[in-house]
Amino acid sequence: MRKTILFLGLMLIPGPASAQFRIPLLAPRPTPQQQPVLQGIDALRADFAAQSGGTTVYYGAESVVLGAPSRTVLAAQAAWLRRHPEVVVRVEGYGDAGDTSDHAIAVGARRAEEARDVLILMGVPAAQLSTTSWGKERPGLGRAVTILVR
Amino acid sequence: MKRPILILVLCGLASAASAQQPGTPAATVIAVPPLTSPDSGNKGNAMLAVGWEATQLIASDLRQTAEVMPLSSSRDDYYSYPEVTAPTFSKWRSAGAKALVTGFVQSRSDGRLTVGCYVYDVEKGRELARKGFVIGPSDWRRAAHKCSGLAYTAITGAPGMFDTRIAYVAETGVGDGRTRRIAVMDSDGYNHKYLTAGDGIVLTPRLAPKGRKLAYVSFAGGKPSVRILDLDSSQDRPLVPIDAISFAPRYSPDGSQIAFSMMLGPNSDIYVVNAGGGMPRRLTTSPGVDTAPSFSPDGSKIVFESDRGGFQQLYVMNADGSGQRRVSFGGGRYASPQWSPDGAWIAFTRRGQDGRRIGILKADGTGEQMLTSGPSDEAPSWSASSRDILFQRVSAEGRSGLYRVALDGSAPRPMTIPQDGSDPDWSGVMD
Repeated sequence: MRKTILFLGLMLIPGPASAQFRIPLLAPRPTPQQQPVLQGIDALRADFAAQSGGTTVYYGAESVVLGAPSRTVLAAQAAWLRRHPEVVVRVEGYGDAGDTSDHAIAVGARRAEEARDVLILMGVPAAQLSTTSWGKERPGLGRAVTILVR
Repeated sequence: MKRPILILVLCGLASAASAQQPGTPAATVIAVPPLTSPDSGNKGNAMLAVGWEATQLIASDLRQTAEVMPLSSSRDDYYSYPEVTAPTFSKWRSAGAKALVTGFVQSRSDGRLTVGCYVYDVEKGRELARKGFVIGPSDWRRAAHKCSGLAYTAITGAPGMFDTRIAYVAETGVGDGRTRRIAVMDSDGYNHKYLTAGDGIVLTPRLAPKGRKLAYVSFAGGKPSVRILDLDSSQDRPLVPIDAISFAPRYSPDGSQIAFSMMLGPNSDIYVVNAGGGMPRRLTTSPGVDTAPSFSPDGSKIVFESDRGGFQQLYVMNADGSGQRRVSFGGGRYASPQWSPDGAWIAFTRRGQDGRRIGILKADGTGEQMLTSGPSDEAPSWSASSRDILFQRVSAEGRSGLYRVALDGSAPRPMTIPQDGSDPDWSGVMD
């Protein structure tokens, strides 16, 4: 039985391969030193995240006030944004998961506005910043603001 | 042959009576014999078949209410046409009925049908209401719902909520891959239709009073904003031509205005705009989040939630924004209020230690009572009768469904929908 199956398999593979494909011997294995090369917006996003220590800052429950760790992240983000005046970012606020949906939209927007104000105080031109809110409609983040390079 | 049926009926009654909550008035028992027909021959048989379908729907409509209890009907109980206008009251009295709904289906020469509907007080032996409908042959469901409404209104005095529609957000998938579409259906689940394509997050569908337009919130443009969808033409437009976050739309009872929240900067305030467009008028100015406006049925007042005092509470103001005063004073946060169609109650979501629950209070803030146990209930929406509330409940497994709870204290019941659902909006009675 086993022999028969093997035979059938061998019969099937050469068909399409000889007709259209060259089967690669081995895919080149990336060496550990070779990072995938990002380009365009993905490269900017990766650089922004790496240099700022993160794209997300967190708030306390029901709070629109930023704590010290969040301000540290925002300061690094502001420095990066000042070095890249051509880059526009969107500040996206999130509400609390336990909130009601309308109130969560407003709280998310207030968090985004608060982070935007801090970035402006740290010298980022307002033209580089826009804000929005996801309310509680994208679960997972909660009580946060993410800054998205656009 | 008759006797066993009678006994079964009585048994059914006894169990229904014992299922009643102590202290609540017993439901009015109503007989629903098969709708008959004056037609004869094949035509008559076809009309009797439609009549039987309609009869079952009327009984099913009434069975869902807390106030009316239909006797089980049998197709073998042929009901003669003359009996429609001259019922044998003694027969229904001995069957235990206090009321009777009966009628006929008649074919017309133009291919349409005439449905006649009659409601009687069996004890007093007099007619309470009658109505006739001329309908297309496929519209018998609406005629049956209208007939159920006629009986319900004759018995309770409240509008029947059977010929109504429900809009909601239909949800499939999980996490950020979740697809959300606005759907509408008849209140019994029939004629289910998706209205949006599912290419972005949508929230809070709100039907206009005539049900031909729908306001909702879309995140498709990068930020939440209120849009108006015309259900006849499928035209879809922004409510206001302003690049700002806007949400929580609600039509005025006459359909001429829409109240909603808009954020110009960090403040959420309540605005009103003509439903056809134009410049919005700002009604609230307090720092903090003012949102979730809902008109009183006469359009003179608006109830809304505000966290101006620190936490969300309910406030009532005149429709021009004057006379703002707080009406909720219990523990926890009060959110997403909706004024009942009869004006007597305000439904709300209360957030506290025990999670989110649905409750009601009177417009002056008194008479607060909680209707559900939570812990993840929200978004109450009144039935046209002001006796039932539809709401959204997220289960322990994270599934979101639509539930219905009556004001009589009975347990909430799930609504059958094709997938998960949230943000229900229950329309008034259709014309």
